[in-house]
Amino acid sequence: MRATRRGTLRSPVAYLFVLPALLIFLLFSIGPTVYTFALSFFKWNKLNPALSTYIGLQNYETVFTGQGDPSFWSTVGISLYFVVGMVVVGTAAGLVIALLLQRGSRLLSAVRTMVFLPHVTPLVATSLVWVWIFNPQFGLANLVVHATGHANIDWLGDSDWAMPAVLVYSLWHELGFVSIVFLGGLTTVSGELSEAAKLDGANAWQEFWYVTFPQLRPVLALVLLVESVTSLQAFTQFFVMTGGGPGYATATLGFQLYQQAFVFSNTGYAAALAVVLFLVTAALSILQLRLQGGGFPSFRSLLLRPRQLRKARTT
Amino acid sequence: MARRNRPGRIVLGIVALIVGLAFLAPLLWVLVTSLSSRGEVYRFPPSFWPDWHWSNYSQAWAAAPWIRYFLNTVFIGACTVALVLGTSVLAGFAFARMRFAGRNVLFVIVLAVMMVPQTVLIIPNYVIASRLHLLDTYLIQILPFGASVFGIFLLRQFFLSIPTEIFDAAQLDGAGPVRMAFQIAGPLARPSLILVGLNTFMGAWNSFVWPYIMTTKDSIRPIEVGLNSFYGVNGTDWTTLSAAVVFTTIPIVVLFLFLQKYFVTGLYSTQGAVR
Repeated sequence: MRATRRGTLRSPVAYLFVLPALLIFLLFSIGPTVYTFALSFFKWNKLNPALSTYIGLQNYETVFTGQGDPSFWSTVGISLYFVVGMVVVGTAAGLVIALLLQRGSRLLSAVRTMVFLPHVTPLVATSLVWVWIFNPQFGLANLVVHATGHANIDWLGDSDWAMPAVLVYSLWHELGFVSIVFLGGLTTVSGELSEAAKLDGANAWQEFWYVTFPQLRPVLALVLLVESVTSLQAFTQFFVMTGGGPGYATATLGFQLYQQAFVFSNTGYAAALAVVLFLVTAALSILQLRLQGGGFPSFRSLLLRPRQLRKARTT
Repeated sequence: MARRNRPGRIVLGIVALIVGLAFLAPLLWVLVTSLSSRGEVYRFPPSFWPDWHWSNYSQAWAAAPWIRYFLNTVFIGACTVALVLGTSVLAGFAFARMRFAGRNVLFVIVLAVMMVPQTVLIIPNYVIASRLHLLDTYLIQILPFGASVFGIFLLRQFFLSIPTEIFDAAQLDGAGPVRMAFQIAGPLARPSLILVGLNTFMGAWNSFVWPYIMTTKDSIRPIEVGLNSFYGVNGTDWTTLSAAVVFTTIPIVVLFLFLQKYFVTGLYSTQGAVR
């Protein structure tokens, strides 16, 4: 063993250091990813894998011609409904909340915690809370509907309302996260530029739109992509709140993976769906790294600045 | 100037408070329901003040093996945290402070693991686990989560920021890489370790899909899977169900409130994880 410059050790022990982590990744992430590709070329026999038959691209044919039940394309449509809802509403509302809570008075800090709290609650537990809120007879949601003079809605049992209901829950769970990311981004916005704009006679909206917003672009790109990836994979709230129903009204791609593999035992077909989901996610992740020019370091510059955040909270 | 802004600030404060209460309302609502009698709950419009029906809690507590679920969750969580911290310190130290052939390639491979969604992995992992007879074990609930890209990355960044003189001095004293990683670098990284540990533990507490699919026996299942089966059995009785939601959620919320200063800085690790 000998030292090189800048305190760097040259030693074969390094391989032993990275081995445990790499072994776990290899066994449970990298290997299984490759295995998913393999599975997708088989008509898989769940009870006796030895009886599985190689069928080439047939599973993909079923996927892309929409012959699956439900059709892949309707699943894509439903996923898009959810993803677009989460990304558009989530980003806009998250930004508004961040701007609202930007100043760090004691009250506003308390409100930050209140907004963020739902994000740390377990998905199963709070999905149940919202199943109760969306109860067709006694739920809180219908109290609001009732107050506006409309008839009660069977939220989760109506194919038109089930997705909006799951969206409301998911936004409630996710908005705290989005606004904290934006709050982190706002601490990097130059105060001097804003002051200059004000001196030049810009009103609050102009100051935001021409000065603050352009500086938030990198954070915005990050939020858009992270939210797309996260909502594309959402599963638990669909499992608890709607079970993909009524019918297939809320059967997103993430939910279909589970349903096809573990309920309908179409493992090969589910694997083909998984490959599609993997490729879309990987493309989005690579896009994210590209947009950030090198990726991880800017994650760090955005979020891992405890001192700045603390400062932002106290000023 | 400050005085002129005063009315504005008050309005801002009120609006913010309303937003905050809107986010809090569902949690308060489940608290109210958990303390209401059945007659009071099944009524429309609902009553907003509970009649302190504490027996919902004892009823819910007696109806399922909660202690078992809690112990399982804590055991799985603690083992996962220990593994994650160990693998992260070792790999983070090697990637930051050691020089070896293939270092950059291996680091890129680690980062690439982030791109694989958990949803995708559950199908092949189920097939693999069933062939290796790992279904219905603690091991399959712990080992796959025993290494974290976020943990490795965060510790690597931290170790890069430590002044090199500390390591040079240690080396003069004859410290080898193992001692350097665990006795010098590790203790200095305490805040990062708490952040990674907290995130891992919360992940274990919230995990649902994975243990739901990989296990069938109540005796080894964690809390959220238990809560889901309680819902399956008692799904129509919202008073006891709400009580169960409250006592399974309060520990993790309290943990968060105590440690939130560590948490805000490291939100990313909770993202994209299905478990």
